[in-house]
Amino acid sequence: MTGPSGVGIGWRPEIAGFVADLPGLRFVEVVAEGVPASGPLPPGLTQLRERAVTVVPHGVRLSLGGAEPVDPARVGHLAAVAQRLDAPLISEHIAFVRAGGLEAGHLLPLPRSREAVDAVCANVARAQADLPVPIALEPIAALVDWPDDELDEADFLTEILDRTGALLLLDVANVHANARNRGADPLALLDRLPLERIAYAHVAGGAEYGGFYHDTHTDPVPSAVLELVGALCARQRPPALLLERDGHYPPAPELRAELDALAAAAGFPAVT
Amino acid sequence: MTGAPHGDPTAAPRAGLAERQAELVAALVAGGPPPPGFAPGPLAATRAALLRKRAGAVARHWPLLAASLGARWTTTFAGWAERRPTAGSLRDGWDLARALHAERALPPPAAEELAAREALLRYDGLRPPRPRRLPAVGRAGGAVAVQIAGRVRLLRPAPRVSTRAGDGVSDAAGSALWISD
Repeated sequence: MTGPSGVGIGWRPEIAGFVADLPGLRFVEVVAEGVPASGPLPPGLTQLRERAVTVVPHGVRLSLGGAEPVDPARVGHLAAVAQRLDAPLISEHIAFVRAGGLEAGHLLPLPRSREAVDAVCANVARAQADLPVPIALEPIAALVDWPDDELDEADFLTEILDRTGALLLLDVANVHANARNRGADPLALLDRLPLERIAYAHVAGGAEYGGFYHDTHTDPVPSAVLELVGALCARQRPPALLLERDGHYPPAPELRAELDALAAAAGFPAVT
Repeated sequence: MTGAPHGDPTAAPRAGLAERQAELVAALVAGGPPPPGFAPGPLAATRAALLRKRAGAVARHWPLLAASLGARWTTTFAGWAERRPTAGSLRDGWDLARALHAERALPPPAAEELAAREALLRYDGLRPPRPRRLPAVGRAGGAVAVQIAGRVRLLRPAPRVSTRAGDGVSDAAGSALWISD
């Protein structure tokens, strides 16, 4: 189990064939809730493991930021998946996805308050107690802000990372989206985050509509996001960069070109 | 909230956060009132983005339902789902297909898809669908599907009301597939 390195891609069943054909690939991420805890693995994943490609389970429904304690069964699933994939770490989000008995179906932001920091840290500690590997925490992209934020984004994230000892999964597209939608400077956030704690970084495409930039994962990676990858690497190059694509899959040459552009922006070898 | 000790680390602060998170989720997915202090523009944009994402997920579970509605899919789904929290993509699509069927607004390929699902799984509209143990027939919009030992076959396609193309090939022929989820 080697840590994430170089350029990777989010493994999805729809592009399993494309991913299997990437000769230089050393690292993929898989949505943890889509991997069974027992029984056969999706065949594409088994092949990648046979090639010693690192597979990182990425949880999306743990709700670490929920006011209620995380569901031990969900933590148990993440632990089981990490074990069977021989993963060096797992990742999840600083977000909540359900409350009051309702599923949001999406990652929702927390108030940047002391109370929310306490809630996240307690849940991360609960998860860490049952996980066989370290956890990396990913800050999300959000359109809404809570009205009573006490901390700014950098202080909020740094405090959570300091108190939990967790690694950082920095999503460069989320940094772009949040800054763009608030008229803020994304570089100012990069300058204040503990970049040496990054386990790997996400990169994804998005689109502008309705006056907002949406982190869709179904559109091409915009040049502004690639430039931000360059700016991040100029400060501190993360060990790995991962392209997330979750639908409207383009023809293989276009997806390869995106991976190549990512490698070029970071100075990593091409995996295509 | 009067008299609450401020900054007392021994006070249990969770109720506040839990309630406010529940208010935000209800406003986003269940037609709840906007929580106080949130800017309406970003809230509306988030609600719309969630509905688009949900429509995409349901379309993956119900490809013929989404495809047969074509350009109307996203708005049809959003109109139906706006005040209905998700019960999961399978059930969301199922409930919508039944609702359209009741309104006689279910296109034939979607009727065939619904008939196949009705034959395969038992779904009471309240609890998660479960596999049927015995052979079963599913019907919707004139389509008839039969399930034996977990395999579903479309016995009769839903009638197309469009004018005959005259090429002699039924457009239903291609949809008489074995469907196994």
